[in-house]
Amino acid sequence: MIEALLKHTNYLGAIALFIIGLYTVLTHNNVLKKVIGINIMETSVFLFFVSIGMIQFGRAPIIKLNETDIIYVNPLPSALILTGIVVAVSITAYSISLIIQLYREFGTLDLDKMLENKEEQE
Amino acid sequence: MKQFPVLIVLLPLFSALIIPLLPKKKRFLFGFVSVMFGLLFILSILSYLNVINDGSFRYVFGNYLAMVGIEFLIDPLIALLVLFVSGLSFLIIIYSFSDIQHELKEHQYAYYYCLIMLLMFSMLGMLYTNDIFNTYVFMEILSIVSTAIISIKHKRSNFLASFRYLMLSSIGSLTILMGLAFLYMVTGQLNMDSMSLVISNVWTLYPTNLVLAIGFILIGLAIKSAMFPLHIWLPDAHSSAPSPSSAFLSSLVVKIYIVVLIKVIYRIFGIEIIASLRIDDFILIMASLGMIFGSIFAIGQKDIKRLLAYSSVAQIGYIFLGIGLLTPLGLAAGLFHIFSHALMKSALFLSAGSIIFSTNKRKLIDLDGIGFKMPITMITFSIAALGMIGIPGISGFMSKIYLGLALIADKHPIFLSLILLSSFLNAIYYMPILISSFLKEDVLVKNTLQKDPLPLTMIIPMVIITLSVLLIGLYPQIIMDVIELALPYYF
Repeated sequence: MIEALLKHTNYLGAIALFIIGLYTVLTHNNVLKKVIGINIMETSVFLFFVSIGMIQFGRAPIIKLNETDIIYVNPLPSALILTGIVVAVSITAYSISLIIQLYREFGTLDLDKMLENKEEQE
Repeated sequence: MKQFPVLIVLLPLFSALIIPLLPKKKRFLFGFVSVMFGLLFILSILSYLNVINDGSFRYVFGNYLAMVGIEFLIDPLIALLVLFVSGLSFLIIIYSFSDIQHELKEHQYAYYYCLIMLLMFSMLGMLYTNDIFNTYVFMEILSIVSTAIISIKHKRSNFLASFRYLMLSSIGSLTILMGLAFLYMVTGQLNMDSMSLVISNVWTLYPTNLVLAIGFILIGLAIKSAMFPLHIWLPDAHSSAPSPSSAFLSSLVVKIYIVVLIKVIYRIFGIEIIASLRIDDFILIMASLGMIFGSIFAIGQKDIKRLLAYSSVAQIGYIFLGIGLLTPLGLAAGLFHIFSHALMKSALFLSAGSIIFSTNKRKLIDLDGIGFKMPITMITFSIAALGMIGIPGISGFMSKIYLGLALIADKHPIFLSLILLSSFLNAIYYMPILISSFLKEDVLVKNTLQKDPLPLTMIIPMVIITLSVLLIGLYPQIIMDVIELALPYYF
């Protein structure tokens, strides 16, 4: 069991980052820290997804016609994660723009204080 | 004829690109949007007739193999859902032309319709696609756009609601992506059919991976489709949004995620694996808790749109109950309730929006005698509310009948009593509204029957939706026939 885990430290790292990110999102009251938590979660998923395409001693998948017995790594996860990164950037951009609006309205970044003043109209 | 699905998906995308370029006049914008939605509706009717006559087909992009490229699978159910989504959103859009003038500023109209077009693009793409990563990309577009149509109304409660929705739905998307990674580890495929082929061969070898995969994907989709304990974003988001957006979010967006969950459970994993991993028990328990607690939370609400939002939580419980049975009857009942709830809930949200539009009142205690001031609106509201309770002749009754029959056939009578309990709870929070609007009298004004102070563009969509609620209630076979035609693709 422990040997298997040591062989796959990438899985351990990804899961640890996922949990750290989730904990940050759920427990911090500061809205910016929540967004940072989401970013940590994103990084963990990307790490996990890319590392499952990895093959030991595999080479970058640039096909050479005259050499037949080369092992290539799987390029598909990396390509998918490029899309994932684009999505993550747009979510971060949108949530930061929302945070700017929230700060203008409430004058604080604390979610609990915002929820207290939810009904108040200026 | 085979190109229709692609045209249906691309039409909203290109309209979203064109809308910012239009002249800044209301007439051009509204004309363009309604023409595009009309075109979309006609295209989806043609595509539906094509599928019903010639059977289902696959569309592969760019002549790649389905394993490599992206594939659309169009079966009768998907064609019907696309027709339904485009038709219902056409009606909501016609309603919105008057309503957004009350809720938004003039320079925001173009932004709003641009977002609505992107919403349509992502919903239709998610319905059609047969590729799991493609589904994920559409899902992310949908989750950003559906938060954006809440925050477009510049009020502090809207920003707060859409921020919370965005955080929870990003957690949901990341959870789904993690689940997809586990699934990709086992299968090495992204096409749903190739995935299910590989999984059915090797699932005994990698049970841990598959449990993790279905667990992550189920939790992610449960956050996005507001399954009971994960529904906390829904009431704020759906009640603070502009009324057309609430109708879109509550009746269509949530349902699209449920359709994705149906695809994952029935098409990718298959019912044997789900049953042996005991995922169905989890879904059934959460669904029945949602049915009861959604209604109980709704009883305490004072705001009409919050009440409707909590009632959505309960009704989504019915749909999940049907899906969790893992029988053809159960799936058919769940799918039927997707249609009937979408119609009833959009009728409820549109009529609540009309009340807010003309009287600016959202509190339930202010609704005394409103049935005489706005008869057509309140008749719409009453028919849909009675349908939610389950009065015969309205579509909500038929979905409860189908669900009950499926439960009896599957020997789960305990859930039948929960459905009855939930119907009584529905009656507890819907009946006071009907009683106070028709039988009580306002303090200031006497009850005299008046004409609704609404423009025709708001009345006609509500009337059409109400008529279709009654039509499906009296002739449920219109939808059930198509669902039965489509069931073999899911088992």
